[in-house]
Amino acid sequence: MQVVFEQIINGLTIGSFYGLIALGYSMVYGVLKLINFAHGDFFALGSYLGYTLLIFGSAFVTSLFGLWGGMIAAMLVAAICLAFVGILVERVAYRPIYPAGRLPAVVSALGASIILQNVIMVIWGPRYQAYPAKLIPNIHLQVWGVHITVLQLVILLLSFFIMAVLYYIIQRTTFGAAIRASAMDRDTAALMGINFNKVIFFIFTLGPALGALTGVMVGMYYRQISFTMGWNYGLKAFTATILGGIGNLPGAMFGGLILGVLEMLGAAYISAAWKDVFVFLILIMVLIFRPTGLFGETTAEKV
Amino acid sequence: MKNTKLTNYLMILGWVMLALVLSAPVATAAEKPVVIGLQGPITGPWAYEGQMAKQSCEIAAELINQKGGILGGRMIELRVVDDAGEPKTGALAATKLVGQKDVVAVVSTYGSSVCEPASNIYERYKKVNIGYGVTAVRLTQRDFKYFFRTCGRDDSQGKFFADDVPKRFNAKRIAVMHDNTAFGKGLAEDTKRGLEPLIAAGTAEIVYFDAITPGEKDFRVILTKLRETQPDVWYFTGYYAEAALLISQAREIGIKCPFVGGNAAINDEFVKIAGLDIAKGCYMTNEPLPGDLPYAEAKEFLKAYKEKFGEIPSSPWPIYAADALNIIADAVDKTGSTKSDVLAEFLRNKADGVPGITGPIGFTAQGDREGVPFYLYMVDDQGKIVVAE
Amino acid sequence: MQVKKIAGFDRIFYFRKKTFLGLLILFGAYPFLVSNYYIDIGFFFGIYALLGLSLNIVLGEVGLFDLGHAGFYAIGAYTTAILNTKCGIPIFILLPVSALAAALFAYMVCSPIIHLRGDYLCIVTIGMGEIVRLALINNPLDLTGGPNGVFGIDFPSVGNIFVIDSSIEYYFLIWVAVALSIYGLSRLQQSRIGRAWNCIREDEVAAKANGIDVRYYKLLAFVLGAALAGVAGNIYASKLMCVSPESFTFWESCLMFCIVLIGGMGSIPGVLIGAAAISLFPEIFRPFAMYRMLVFGGAMILMMVFRPGGIWPRKRGISGK
Repeated sequence: MQVVFEQIINGLTIGSFYGLIALGYSMVYGVLKLINFAHGDFFALGSYLGYTLLIFGSAFVTSLFGLWGGMIAAMLVAAICLAFVGILVERVAYRPIYPAGRLPAVVSALGASIILQNVIMVIWGPRYQAYPAKLIPNIHLQVWGVHITVLQLVILLLSFFIMAVLYYIIQRTTFGAAIRASAMDRDTAALMGINFNKVIFFIFTLGPALGALTGVMVGMYYRQISFTMGWNYGLKAFTATILGGIGNLPGAMFGGLILGVLEMLGAAYISAAWKDVFVFLILIMVLIFRPTGLFGETTAEKV
Repeated sequence: MKNTKLTNYLMILGWVMLALVLSAPVATAAEKPVVIGLQGPITGPWAYEGQMAKQSCEIAAELINQKGGILGGRMIELRVVDDAGEPKTGALAATKLVGQKDVVAVVSTYGSSVCEPASNIYERYKKVNIGYGVTAVRLTQRDFKYFFRTCGRDDSQGKFFADDVPKRFNAKRIAVMHDNTAFGKGLAEDTKRGLEPLIAAGTAEIVYFDAITPGEKDFRVILTKLRETQPDVWYFTGYYAEAALLISQAREIGIKCPFVGGNAAINDEFVKIAGLDIAKGCYMTNEPLPGDLPYAEAKEFLKAYKEKFGEIPSSPWPIYAADALNIIADAVDKTGSTKSDVLAEFLRNKADGVPGITGPIGFTAQGDREGVPFYLYMVDDQGKIVVAE
Repeated sequence: MQVKKIAGFDRIFYFRKKTFLGLLILFGAYPFLVSNYYIDIGFFFGIYALLGLSLNIVLGEVGLFDLGHAGFYAIGAYTTAILNTKCGIPIFILLPVSALAAALFAYMVCSPIIHLRGDYLCIVTIGMGEIVRLALINNPLDLTGGPNGVFGIDFPSVGNIFVIDSSIEYYFLIWVAVALSIYGLSRLQQSRIGRAWNCIREDEVAAKANGIDVRYYKLLAFVLGAALAGVAGNIYASKLMCVSPESFTFWESCLMFCIVLIGGMGSIPGVLIGAAAISLFPEIFRPFAMYRMLVFGGAMILMMVFRPGGIWPRKRGISGK
């Protein structure tokens, strides 16, 4: 039984990564109806920035704030940098294309993704980079026979905290209502006096910033990062977004968590080699019976 | 006026075609240097390996040139083409090289599934090609005339594992894990085959045989499964990136058995990623690493490499690329010919014990390297990779 | 507009005979002027053109987002590879077989999901493509050779007399296939089927209201598109003489998607230009070495900024805008 719990905790950890990345996808999709393929690469870039910060800034920051302080500083700085990158990409690659409709934007997003990936390769080189082991707390706990690390616990709590804050912003504040309104009907929302540019600005700073946070967490959790990892995580996170119902933010979070747990259980009890097949099959099954995802609205979408 | 616009497009298309026609290389008559090709993954996911191979070949060529070249003073020129670690691009790269008449022979390539289509093309156009990081057994079982390799095969390593490791650790319950890449899976299967006599004799048992997905970062689930099989020794046949994650996560969840990696699993990067505490005491089956090679050629090569690039290659493969270049140069020098048939014939039958960086080089009738030695290595307390006692 | 009732080919290309002949001569003469390497680039241009045409049916004509097209391509290639190496069936006979296998696969996979809309369909096709690739890697029934792939595929031949085994012959093989497909597809565009497809793309509800069997026509598009991709797979497999899962990644599907969009949705000459861009750009940019893909990505964005409708958008005659 302990083993099952262990698997579920592992699944939740990886699922919270998917969920946090999926939030970025879902926000952009909800408002702009754009599949932002570059989002996975925001995440990878954030991870690399965090790496550099930890390597070069670690001595300074950790001497001031301690080990955990250094980590948080790395996360924050990476998130802020990525917020700027997000805005930059939006201005250069997406904004000029909005009037032309959604499909050209897909190509443009793929182009942005290629660029970001190769920028990482050119700057940091094609090899894997390793987060410095000594800078990351490595304490094991054993609760009722279940192995868990403190880092895992921190990651889980932090992700849930971020998700809760975001949920509050979207569901309970006026600005959140503006975002939801823009997602429902952009033109009508604009008529109601909602500043659409402000909404876009918000989603393109917050999404990449969340991606960067996740990137640093992934870096610390696995300690190893590569310039192509944005694709893998991006694809999984996108799957999570759809699983939860596109444009539905709590749906995206739950989609991520469910996907993570499913993946781990599939690997554990079916076959490790077939686990992604299993995940995609489940996704297809869900969509056959619930064509708009687990938490999506049931009304037909007008294409 | 629709048609003017259309004609414009056609004009553009025509110009593009014309540009291609013109940029096609015009056969140059520069007879002086002996050109040796290198096909490798200069970009793409294996860029790291490809770039080290390029550097190694550059050094090898430089060393030969410093000593006055071959054939009485002709220099060696290296011509590099990129195959991006991908079969299609590999085929294009091979076509590019066979199209260049001055390329005498090719060092090609890293990755068995990239090598396959490329070596088909070299074979058809009769160009000697020597693989340096291609260990799939079947590559040399195709009765190819022009294909050779300076590295070992999967089964030689698998057999070494079966002969050495269970005895050394007194291990009965053996776990084999691969990464579903052509190389990792091949090695795992050959290990299984190598263990069969022991299994038949009842002195060993494979308690675990499964794959992980490369590029993946979370292996805790698979490892939990592994933990339950209670292995005495655990053999992982994939690459260092996953190996490092596997071992740190395994120790985290309490797997304590000795970890043995295949020859792509452990290098300095492995130690860096896993951290010294975890990495120390890990084993690997490997061809002798560059630094442990006792040969004079190796010392000279590594000295030159370090002078130019500041470090020595961290994986075994680039050295084989350098050796492939050396043996080509040697064959050209000794036969005095740049004809593929002569070279292939020489390599197959007459090249024997030619001193190389990785020891004496010779080929079997199939084109395999003769006598590739394997050692068991371990990570010592300082994080250095040393030969295990 | 001098185009009135001219059927098929002429109407699609708006060609005058002279320009058309010029193009034909250019394509015909090209391989005799350049080295094998450049002929092979021409060959892969042809492969991408065929793949682009096949995706164009699904994406361009009907407007269904399909980001898993590499799956159909893989099915075609592996059908050829396995049947040829295990049973010794000649490549040319396998050409229709591969097309059928891919079409059948598309039919089975797509029937339950065809009712999904927009991006939901998109993710399902991504999932489908990934499932195919992962299945190939995992080597079910020992058929696909796992990550190594299948090797030792024959040259296409008729008896011993007519064997396609040189770069030039492959070049003509693929371009003849492309030409035939273009001819067929351009006829199809003008037919009842093509009009029904375009109608669905423009407004599905209206199409339904007009008595078009939406489900049938959507499935038909998938099946035809998959069949054409299967043909491309067949030729690709025999050209490389081996297939391995690395050639059928999600990235390959994305490239096909870009081919259709860069060229212009539903436009056949557009697809050719898109395929040229995708297969020639990386070669032209080779001197940039490490920065090559950066330039490539930048070019994609710029292209969409300045020509969002594609380089050669479809001109609407009777149906559509």
